[in-house]
Amino acid sequence: MSIYESSVRKPIMTALVYVAVLVLGLFSLPRLPIDLFPDMGTNSIMIFTVYTGASAADIENNVTRPLENVLNSVSDLKHISSNSRENYSIVYLEFEWGIDIDEATNDVRDKLDMVTSSLPDEANSPIIFKFSTDDIPIMMLSVQSEESTKALYKILDDRLASPLSRISGVGTVSISGAPQREIQIYCDPQRLEAYNLTIEAIAAVIGYENRNLPLGNIDIGSETYSMRVQGEFVDAQEMSNIVVGSYNNQNVYLRDVARIDDNIQERLQEVYNDGKQGAMIIIQKQSGANSVQIARKVQAVLPNIQKNLPPDVKIGIIADTTDGIINTINSLSSAITDTLVLVILVVLFFLGRWRATFIVAIVIPISLVGSFIYLLMTGNSLNIISLSSLSIAIGMVVDDAIVVLENITTHIERGSKPKSAAIYGTSEVSISIMASTMVIFAVFIPLTFITGMSGILFRQLGWIVTIVIFISLMASLTLTPMLSSIMLKNNPNRGKVFGFVYGPIERFLEKLSNGYSKLLGIALNHKLIVTISALAIFFGSLMLMMIIPTEFFPSQDGDRLSATVKLPISTRVETSRTFGLELTKTFQEKYPELLGCTFSVGQPDDNNTYGMLSENGTHILSFILRFKKKTDRIRTLNEIADNIRQDLATYTNVQTFNVSASSGMGGQSSVDIELYGYNFETSDRIAAMVADSMSSIPGASQVNISRSEYIPEIQIDFNREKLAELGLNMTTAAMYVRNRFNGAVASYYREDGEEYSIKVRYAPEFRESIEAIENILVYNSQGVGVRVKDLGTVVERMTPPTIERKDRERIVTVSCVVGAGSVLSEVYTDVARKMNNIDIPSEMTYHIGGTYEDQQESFGDLISLMALIVLLVYIVMASQFESFVYPFVIMAAVLFGFTGVFIGLAVTNTPLGIMAMVGMLMLIGIVVKNGIVLIDYTILCRGRGMDVRTAVITAGKSRLRPILMTTLTTVIGMIPLAVGKGEGAEMWNSLGITVAWGLSISTLITLIIVPVLYSAMANFGIKRKERKALRKERKALQEVTIQN
Amino acid sequence: MKAVFISFYQAFHDELIEVFDNLEIRGYTYWDAVKGRGTFNGEPHYGTHTWPTMNGAILTFIEDDKLQPLMDKIKQLDNSAPQQGIRAFVMPAEAIYCPGVES
Repeated sequence: MSIYESSVRKPIMTALVYVAVLVLGLFSLPRLPIDLFPDMGTNSIMIFTVYTGASAADIENNVTRPLENVLNSVSDLKHISSNSRENYSIVYLEFEWGIDIDEATNDVRDKLDMVTSSLPDEANSPIIFKFSTDDIPIMMLSVQSEESTKALYKILDDRLASPLSRISGVGTVSISGAPQREIQIYCDPQRLEAYNLTIEAIAAVIGYENRNLPLGNIDIGSETYSMRVQGEFVDAQEMSNIVVGSYNNQNVYLRDVARIDDNIQERLQEVYNDGKQGAMIIIQKQSGANSVQIARKVQAVLPNIQKNLPPDVKIGIIADTTDGIINTINSLSSAITDTLVLVILVVLFFLGRWRATFIVAIVIPISLVGSFIYLLMTGNSLNIISLSSLSIAIGMVVDDAIVVLENITTHIERGSKPKSAAIYGTSEVSISIMASTMVIFAVFIPLTFITGMSGILFRQLGWIVTIVIFISLMASLTLTPMLSSIMLKNNPNRGKVFGFVYGPIERFLEKLSNGYSKLLGIALNHKLIVTISALAIFFGSLMLMMIIPTEFFPSQDGDRLSATVKLPISTRVETSRTFGLELTKTFQEKYPELLGCTFSVGQPDDNNTYGMLSENGTHILSFILRFKKKTDRIRTLNEIADNIRQDLATYTNVQTFNVSASSGMGGQSSVDIELYGYNFETSDRIAAMVADSMSSIPGASQVNISRSEYIPEIQIDFNREKLAELGLNMTTAAMYVRNRFNGAVASYYREDGEEYSIKVRYAPEFRESIEAIENILVYNSQGVGVRVKDLGTVVERMTPPTIERKDRERIVTVSCVVGAGSVLSEVYTDVARKMNNIDIPSEMTYHIGGTYEDQQESFGDLISLMALIVLLVYIVMASQFESFVYPFVIMAAVLFGFTGVFIGLAVTNTPLGIMAMVGMLMLIGIVVKNGIVLIDYTILCRGRGMDVRTAVITAGKSRLRPILMTTLTTVIGMIPLAVGKGEGAEMWNSLGITVAWGLSISTLITLIIVPVLYSAMANFGIKRKERKALRKERKALQEVTIQN
Repeated sequence: MKAVFISFYQAFHDELIEVFDNLEIRGYTYWDAVKGRGTFNGEPHYGTHTWPTMNGAILTFIEDDKLQPLMDKIKQLDNSAPQQGIRAFVMPAEAIYCPGVES
């Protein structure tokens, strides 16, 4: 018994199988995590090495280069780049996408083991970070406080950070802007000198005094006691009574040489929320955890946390990255619902019967829900890709069911009982629907082979569509006949209302197919003209390619901007802060769309990893601006960003600034020029020239040179000979200076289970001039003190702050972003042209990278994929028709599909991006389906003895309705995607436009050109056969004559 | 006894078996999915791409008195859906071997 027969004969089993699919799918749905993109894993590793006190150049030579040389041999490495800054070195390793990052990490660790011993002794061991999208903070909270500011860190750490970290999935919670308590011992250098004391000696004394020591046990009588000394300070002020030395047989107390200040750290990052000082809490998730769920949990506990905080401390949300995800997914889901309704309406329009419509429409939810099971099983999420795949599939899943239903109806109309009609009607078309579904597989299965970044995105698309279409094929071969056998009637009674409503539609469809067959007749009489004009349309549309710009990913209209504003180097925190507050006010006045404005300034604490990794300094202001949702404002985020750039450009004290829409993939596209060259001066000069000519390009806004300003530095040049004469060395001398200015951590003060450093150094008023440095006394082992000015000279020099390297060469990147209203490809061409005019010295090389490079790489992948898909589709068709020629006739549809795409993109002024490319890939499969249906039936008619012309016209007339119907379901299914305006819609607009325009234009042209080409080919074939037969006859005749 | 050969479009199978049951014709031989075409008109049933339908065929040997009712029913079936196709051919059964039945 065939599968259709058993499903018709066992309706309960069939129904329950699909009920099971539905239930499993609906069971999976709430368990699916929600995310913006499929999980991309990570492809980069970062190696962070701290070497305190070293300048950028030292770091480059002593840390970065040895690391790079060793790490360069790690396998699958794509790029190695590094940043050598003062005090630390960061080496980034970028791997090919899709590699096993754990294996790579082990490899890196092995290599690091080899090199660690040759790094400077003072350098800490390199730390490995795996940086991925997982590490992007999922939430940022703002904290405003008044009276509690000084104790803010402890309050936040105890009552906010700890409860938040307990939420499962939350990785780290960093607090920036809240000062930590520190006990400062501020010494007076003159008094120290007078008493022959040093900072080091004081620090050592404090260290010895502040100690709890176990002393062993003592047996007294029949009992054993343990002995201890409890020397630790209970109160910070206790320290003032410590004896730090003696002078003239008098005790010198700490209070004689220093004052004790139980205060906060001296240098810290300050955070201002809407102009008020406070703190910023950065929440990162554990890798692999689901952002949306975590954010929901965090939101849920925040009210409780707020209750436990002092009344003046207020928590607000600066950014919740999951907001955008949820809104985007919601707007996509509503697009899917619209699609569903539209598709059902189209089916109803063509079939005119509720029962038939139901039979076809039921396939949609079953196949869609089936994909949820796949997503849950493979650990994927509901994201833009998986949902837009579903939306693409909706219009396609009904195709098979429609074909089956149509044939069953024909059988019933011819007198079969519904049951037999269902079985045999299905069996007749099963081969042909399987073949046309194979074409869809030929398109979508290769998508699962793509590697690289686009591969991660499109693998899911490939699998989902394949699975959904497979389920729909199974359903249309089993469920559709089963339902038809039960629900369809032999002689459906058509009521008056039905006649009234559907009559005109019926007549219209009738007229349409008559008109089409007439048109086809005319076209067949003028084959040459039709062919030539079709070719003209195609080549004409290729011209459109010139005016269609390209892009990588559409830039998304999110709700956040981040801006980094750099003031002149060495600007004091106080000045920067005032300017930051001024800017905040300006932004609040000028942009009514602004919801929140947070900025941070200053250097973060050592234990704030997030803060350390971002650019920071006393002269750098980092803003996070939160705006209203896209749908609630008129200006786009890019326009606002451009306006803010203009604002910033008017301030003369702003050195450079960088405004960017902060959302991973859909940010603004950039063009980067990478200049490689060792010499700083030359590369700086060229970079300035490049930046200059770049700024003159209209579409390029915000030109930036990656190498920042030279930092003025105070350097002490010790005279080695003098040092040696006095029995000193460079390190000892340097440490003396360091301890006096930076401070020596003497010990830790413990209170309530917390530790606070006790720092000994000069009081701030003694650290304000060069003379202060020069007057520092350095003691040698004999106890002789020598001033720094006698050991060397204190000079001011400029040093490059950050040395950037890529692939083991020094690099400067000049970059610009594509401004609002401009397009990546145009800016790229302009930049490339300008670069040709710049005279670049021979020792330097350059490379144009940035988003354009990624785009070209992905486009290259997709184009080779397109070739593969075309070949596969050809193979499927050629095997189906057992002909090399007919597939070419059908492939003509693909050309006009592209024509439609170009027209669509040109008309709607949409750039050709990666999503549009995906649309074009899918078109190959979708558009040939129409041709297959048409040619298949024409061949059938010819097999039944019709001549070519009659066969072509008959087939056209009879197949017009199913073709229009399946096309319209797909095209109309794409409209909600194409015209969507919700949040994130710019991601899938171009996909919708591509498929809708491509398929409709291609169908219109295919309906004429394919029959015309077919009849030309068939006539040619017949003539050839005739000629062959004639030749044979003549030969036979000749032989007969010869014999005679 | 008469031999009746019925060739029909597959879809008639269920209805034909019902007829047999009603007329209490017990014995028959049924071929599923056979190919053929009519002598005069009607679509061929080849199970090919061009002619995708298939026939069924039944050969039955019945008592003479059941012949007419069977032929009537077949005619009735044919009339119910003339496009489907059902034809019957009757031949005399000259000798049979069947224990318990006289020829």
